[in-house]
Amino acid sequence: MIEINLVAYFLDTAVYVGIYSILTLSLNLEYGFTGLLNFGKVAFFMIGAYVSALLTVAGAPYAVGLLGGMVVSALSGLLMSLPALRLREDYLAIVMLVFGETIRIVLKNEIWIAGGPFGVTGIPPAFAFLRAIDTEEFYIAINVVIVYGILLVLYVLLETLVNSPYGRILRGIREDEQATQCLGKNTIRCMAQIFVIGSGVAGVAGSLYAQYVGYISTRMFLPIVTFTVMVMCILGGSGNNRGAILGALIMVGLERGTRIAKDYIGVPIDPQNLMYILTGTLMVLFLFYRPSGMLKEKPVKQDRQK
Amino acid sequence: MNWAQLLLNSAITGSLYFLLTLGLTMTYDLLNFANVSHAELITFGAYIGYVVSDTLNLGFIWGVTASFFSSGLLGIISYMLVFRPLARRGADFIHLCIASVGYSLTLRFLMQQAWGQDIVLFESRFKAFTLGPIRLSWLGVSIMAMAIALFVSLHLILTRTKLGKAMRATSNNIVLAKASGINTEQVLLVVWFLGSALAGIGGVLKGCDTMVIPVLGWNLLIMVFATAILGGIGSFYGAFAAAYSIGLAENLSVATLGHLGLSTDYKGIVAFGILTAMLILKPTGLSGIKVFRRTLLRSDRN
Repeated sequence: MIEINLVAYFLDTAVYVGIYSILTLSLNLEYGFTGLLNFGKVAFFMIGAYVSALLTVAGAPYAVGLLGGMVVSALSGLLMSLPALRLREDYLAIVMLVFGETIRIVLKNEIWIAGGPFGVTGIPPAFAFLRAIDTEEFYIAINVVIVYGILLVLYVLLETLVNSPYGRILRGIREDEQATQCLGKNTIRCMAQIFVIGSGVAGVAGSLYAQYVGYISTRMFLPIVTFTVMVMCILGGSGNNRGAILGALIMVGLERGTRIAKDYIGVPIDPQNLMYILTGTLMVLFLFYRPSGMLKEKPVKQDRQK
Repeated sequence: MNWAQLLLNSAITGSLYFLLTLGLTMTYDLLNFANVSHAELITFGAYIGYVVSDTLNLGFIWGVTASFFSSGLLGIISYMLVFRPLARRGADFIHLCIASVGYSLTLRFLMQQAWGQDIVLFESRFKAFTLGPIRLSWLGVSIMAMAIALFVSLHLILTRTKLGKAMRATSNNIVLAKASGINTEQVLLVVWFLGSALAGIGGVLKGCDTMVIPVLGWNLLIMVFATAILGGIGSFYGAFAAAYSIGLAENLSVATLGHLGLSTDYKGIVAFGILTAMLILKPTGLSGIKVFRRTLLRSDRN
């Protein structure tokens, strides 16, 4: 029997929940609030991870890596939004999906950029100087603090954003883009801004992921990541930021649960297969019986008439 | 560069894309959503074909027949179990699209559980032969023959039969078709069966040509989407023209990439370029071009 460090295990789970929550928040902003179907979310996660990893491996402090990952990711979001946003929703989804695959293929084949299929190794952790006194739990606990600190900041910022008048424009675009245009709102510009913010947030998640795991390769950024995040968003409740975090918690729990089911209960199904079978089925079932997710979207706050 | 070989390879690739695209473009048109789970019908056909022709040793022809019917049935089941009830519950096309992604994941990983993640290879039963400057195998010949036969027979069905007329009417305006007494539900079932069955055949042929893996269909899906959009969603003749154009573009880019010393993985980027350019410049696809419209109209007189 291998000794299992339960404390480290739970902390590790917590870090993953945090990182996926950030990613789901960014998707929720695009899909849940604005109705943009972005099937290429993983591309921006990947860009954030790679930029941050390359910067920190080259010796830059972590804050620079994080900012770099965020900015480059946001810029590529802007770049992609220029052609993509003029398309109908389903065409947008297809183009974004192919964009994510394209970035991945380039990173996989151009070994000079970031090691190609071998990936980037030895990414320094965020607070390298603390490693001197570290135990495993301590290292992961530090990450819990960083990830949840950033998650809290982003949550507050995004909540403020979607509850502002600007947030009402976003919902307007989701419900009826033409009507919103008729009210004199520049919907294309709004959607581009949302793409930039959403991609930047995904870049932050990627950067956190890279420094936590310490190693990234193109195999980690398959389109399936996007779909997992999509399920998190729908499960928790699209258009509800708390729901996004709840969805991330459930899906990471499901992923861990299937591994436990295999190793300790002896379910004779490969845990990865079981996880994705359940993920897919949950996705369909939720669309059938509860398309608004577990937590419903909150009604728009109305200003009291004076 | 061996141009004859390049053109031949393009014709084979194009024929394959034609088989794979028909189902997607027709269901996309009729139900108005991008059915991502179309990829899994391709993979399913390939696995069933493998089981029947190699594991049960019944021969390749039976393998193809079995995959035709089993993929077709799976398509109908998908429609009746997932997409029709969802559409009746009033799901919009974003929800249908996401549901197809979820359904696709379930199917793919069920198949991965059943057949494993490893490469499955068909027994090599097709001899290659040399014909002047080109080399081809009987498999390539049968892929091309199948596509041509399919094109001709579907053209005849669409223009000469009552069912074909009903299909065109349903695709043109489903409400009006229903009002004219066409059993649109039946038409939809036929379309799902046929489209899925052809995807299954395409899967066997592709799997036999290369290898069968759980992501076989997924890896083809981007090219299939590119073909459907280039041809114009729902356009049969457009899909035919687009499949061969994409086949040619793919083979040309592979040859060029080889010359430049770049990885042939980049052929995906060529598809991306075509797709994006097409969506932005001409979202109606090739079917917007007059020739194809006139073909449809002329047949209306029959």
